Amino acid sequence: MEIYLGLVEGALPDQTRIFGAVDGDLVDLTIACAACLTRAGDRFTAYEHAAFHFPETVGAFLARGEQSLQALDEVISFARTNGLRNLRGPAGEKVVYEPAEVRMLPPLRNPEKSFVIGFSDQARIEAMPKSEIPTAFYKLPQTFVTSGAPIVWPKFSEEIDADACLALVIGKAGKRIEPAQAWDHIAGVTLLIDVTARDINQREGLTTNNLLGKNFPSSTSLGPAVLIKPERKDLESLEVELGVDGNVKQQFTLRDCVFTLDQIVARWSILGIKPGDFLAIGASMALKGDRLQNPAPLKVGSTLCCSSPAIGELTHQVVAPGGLRR
Amino acid sequence: MRLVTYLYQQQERIGAVDGAGHIVDLHRAYGSYLRATEAHPAAEQLARITLGHDMIDFLKHGDKALEAARQALAHAGGNSHAGGDTILDLKQIRLMAPVPRPGALVSAGKNFSDHVAEMASKKGPGAPVAFLKLPGTVIGPEDDIPHPPEVKNLDYEVELAVIIGKPCVDVTEDEALDYVAGYAAFNDISARDVIRGENKTGVHLMGKSFPGFAPMGPYLVTADEIADPQNLKLKLSVNGEVRQDSNLSYMIFKIREMIAYWSQMGLNPGDVLTTGTPRGVAAGRKPDQPPWWLKPDDVLEAEVEKVGRLRNRIVAE
Repeated sequence: MEIYLGLVEGALPDQTRIFGAVDGDLVDLTIACAACLTRAGDRFTAYEHAAFHFPETVGAFLARGEQSLQALDEVISFARTNGLRNLRGPAGEKVVYEPAEVRMLPPLRNPEKSFVIGFSDQARIEAMPKSEIPTAFYKLPQTFVTSGAPIVWPKFSEEIDADACLALVIGKAGKRIEPAQAWDHIAGVTLLIDVTARDINQREGLTTNNLLGKNFPSSTSLGPAVLIKPERKDLESLEVELGVDGNVKQQFTLRDCVFTLDQIVARWSILGIKPGDFLAIGASMALKGDRLQNPAPLKVGSTLCCSSPAIGELTHQVVAPGGLRR
Repeated sequence: MRLVTYLYQQQERIGAVDGAGHIVDLHRAYGSYLRATEAHPAAEQLARITLGHDMIDFLKHGDKALEAARQALAHAGGNSHAGGDTILDLKQIRLMAPVPRPGALVSAGKNFSDHVAEMASKKGPGAPVAFLKLPGTVIGPEDDIPHPPEVKNLDYEVELAVIIGKPCVDVTEDEALDYVAGYAAFNDISARDVIRGENKTGVHLMGKSFPGFAPMGPYLVTADEIADPQNLKLKLSVNGEVRQDSNLSYMIFKIREMIAYWSQMGLNPGDVLTTGTPRGVAAGRKPDQPPWWLKPDDVLEAEVEKVGRLRNRIVAE
């Protein structure tokens, strides 16, 4: 099941809603849940319970745990059984939307830990994929955009590129998690495009820092949906692909990554992880044959598309600098 | 004005420090002011809208909120009838960092020539160098710092925190200080051995971002009170023994230059830039000297002149 975060027409910026994808339509899970509870005889607290199970962010939803995941199954089967076309809220509210009717948002909005596993450029040049520590860098939530948003070329750079990543979404809090327990803490996956100003990143890398080159507005695309609770074997064989102007530039599955999911969760949970945090693994950490893949160079006007059959696709156009508010 | 974020009865609230050193609750004092001056029927709600709900929100509300805070502070000072929850003694509350969770926490590295030398770097950088500390690592001015079991070489770095007050994109050095809301003392706690391990194949992240690695406070001292932020003494002591004693005038990239440079990534109200640290850190000790690595029960005092002092104890995690 894929879930989306979005705003419907007329909603205020903080009135975000979680949607479930059913047969190409989007179901407002909060109102659908209220309808389901009302039908089951709950006349007085249906809205409150619905808002409890499907709160305004995906992180909060995942934090509710097993009960809310069960509620998700029940609501979806309720929606299917009753027919999407006729589905309305307890007071006649709209529940089913076409994707174009919802303003989509990055599904994870303000995680504390938004890490991408990566080698420094230097380590990549020296080909050190046998490293024992999965090092990572941090992407600021203020850089997040989702499918459809322009990628704005940063004025300060001559050279930008994109790396397709699969972000493991944390569903259960933990600290210093043993590798054998790592899988229990994963609630789902989403796609991420890590856009890098390579010239700046190389300069910053010399001082083993990482900031401007990876954290400018629209340098992180996230979404479009979180695929909830896939089977482990399905997740590990999920194909992720990055295309630029229609040509495939990167392709990988988690099996190609130089680190396992268990190693990555064990390492970064040392700092503590919470529902809604993510640990992303890029194509540039995945082996193709015996070498790591490279991020794909971009130009102004390039169209890039990161896709995975079970999650959806992130599509963006690279635009010239100058769109930023002064 | 000295602005604070604090916990009172398990609630996070914003306040200002009055002349007697008491904490004035901004929402309650401004509500009381509105009731007294305008007999406003929904004074508390209006106070919340005017001031914002937390410090970042307050900063986003700009000059109007700042003006309201001044009125609230003046009103509380002259009004002996203020309610019991409006003016509080420091003993009744726990100070948090003035901005408990910044949007971005940008910490300068290698920004004092004497520190560059002690860290055995060949030369200072050609452009400002900084890294991101996780905003979730920020703790209050008197909170304990957990010593992670993974870390052998725990270190300190006294710095000035510069708190951004307005959306700040591509600004010039000349106008840079206009975007500053105020200042706080900062201690950039660092796990040197973890950083060394990360640097082999990556960038440093974990070594700077264990929980509690960013004590900040005790107040946000508003920019109008600091005539020259580039000329302030910095001092850090461990168990009373002075380790760092310097002045911000020795910074390589000055505060104005840092703001102008990092504004290229787009800064927002409540984002924090820290200045980097002078010499005297534990990592700068020679092999023949007794090591200065921090251990449980050490007490760190980090002070910036005119801005304030942090006092944090290291505790075993």
